[in-house]
Amino acid sequence: MADLLSVENLSAGYGRAVVLSDVAFRLGEGEALAVLGRNGVGKTTLLDTLVGVTRRFTGSIALGGREVGTLAPETRAGLGVGWVPQERNIFRSLSVQENLTAVARPGPWTLDRVFRLFPRLKERRQQSGASLSGGEQQMLAIGRALATNPRLLLLDEPTEGLAPIIVQELLAALTRLLREEKLAAIIVEQHAQKILPITDRALILERGRIVHQSDSAALLADPMPLERFLGVTGR
Amino acid sequence: MPSATLLGQALISGVLAGGMYGLLALGLSLSWGLLRLVNLSHFALAFLAAYLTYELGTTYHVAPWWAAAMIVPVMFLIGIAQHWLFDKFKVNELASLLITFSFAVILEVAIQLYWTADYRRFETHYSTMSIKAGPFYIPVLELALCMVAGVLAWGTWLWLRKTYVGKALRAAAEDADIAAAYGVDHKKLAYLLSGMGAAYAAIAGTFIALIATLAPTQIWAWLGVVFAVVIIGRLGNPLGALLAGMLIGASESIAMAVFEPAWAPVVSFSVLIAILLWDPEWL
Repeated sequence: MADLLSVENLSAGYGRAVVLSDVAFRLGEGEALAVLGRNGVGKTTLLDTLVGVTRRFTGSIALGGREVGTLAPETRAGLGVGWVPQERNIFRSLSVQENLTAVARPGPWTLDRVFRLFPRLKERRQQSGASLSGGEQQMLAIGRALATNPRLLLLDEPTEGLAPIIVQELLAALTRLLREEKLAAIIVEQHAQKILPITDRALILERGRIVHQSDSAALLADPMPLERFLGVTGR
Repeated sequence: MPSATLLGQALISGVLAGGMYGLLALGLSLSWGLLRLVNLSHFALAFLAAYLTYELGTTYHVAPWWAAAMIVPVMFLIGIAQHWLFDKFKVNELASLLITFSFAVILEVAIQLYWTADYRRFETHYSTMSIKAGPFYIPVLELALCMVAGVLAWGTWLWLRKTYVGKALRAAAEDADIAAAYGVDHKKLAYLLSGMGAAYAAIAGTFIALIATLAPTQIWAWLGVVFAVVIIGRLGNPLGALLAGMLIGASESIAMAVFEPAWAPVVSFSVLIAILLWDPEWL
């Protein structure tokens, strides 16, 4: 499978603080990667570095063979990096529809298609972003990233802090995106059991370094690394 | 108590005078609300445009609308140049206030050096024309100003709400870093908006030349009330700026008719204080 993303020797952080060290992995077209690890091991920093909002010290990030590590976030977004930040950060003063259209770029993900994936957003299209529930904000954050028609979707703890029924709804939508639409994605999650079934591969971070890489199915079949690095079982 | 006719006339005159507040507030509101830059040089640019309109009209006999057609694009470029400076030196909200205040003082001096401190008046045959509607008189120039202000405010409001660029600007105003991560090049948009703000100042300046008596110190005459209008209309809201301008204009005019002229500023600033006390997040 051709590499969509190739990360080599990456170290990054904030200010002078180095959070990630010597991170290297590859992601093929249409592949989904789970990034696992305890709190504070650098999962969010990894996604933020791919987006371009942290400080990169060394290493390279190649998207579709092109080095993007030195580019500004807006340029990376233009090349196909779609981001769903942990805090969701929807534009609260814009309506639901405006949140989607303000950043939209041409491609298969039209407004109608986003609304088909998340019918709740269509119902609330005229409401302001500030009036949405946590789950709806997460749907909007994902929809907004899709509206940019990304080649690579980065999701930072998409189910965090949401009610179980909303988590089910979101996981169903993510399953559709990753398994049916074959959208390449990297998902940061603390709860391995939620996302291993819908990803192809997984890596575990520990203190800013990759300590394990394998197929998601292998990790589900043999959860030893999960127990060792996350202190949980995979089931 | 003044008669109903006098009050009606005061209301009409106030709303029309408020159109000028709104027109001046428009560019200021956009740069403050959407770029978080408080641009006091806006007033000086408006007066520079007014003096240029006066000069072109009195020395070269250029009609004011042709003068505006020449001055507005130049001002647009000046707005872009000013933003280049802000961008290069990463000027923040408070620093922008101080720097643009300094720009305005420098421009005031430049205007005074060239045109002197004398009062100047651009007389035209239509400057005193008015339409009679029942017992009321409606001055033609002020009416034209309000119509232009209305078209600009409404057009800008629609532009911000309906176009990709407008929505991207609003998104970037709320969270520039997040907007950038979604591909919004807010730096380019900020240049466009700064140019627009200066162009709006030039349009206001053309009307100032026709309606007001020009003197360099007059740059500061509208500052207080327009500041209040920008805030009352809500930062970054062009229709709000115009409506607030007309509301304040009308209130001032009624206060002057009922009490005495000295009461006029009390009204606008009392409304401002009341709004900010009622909703501290109004800004």
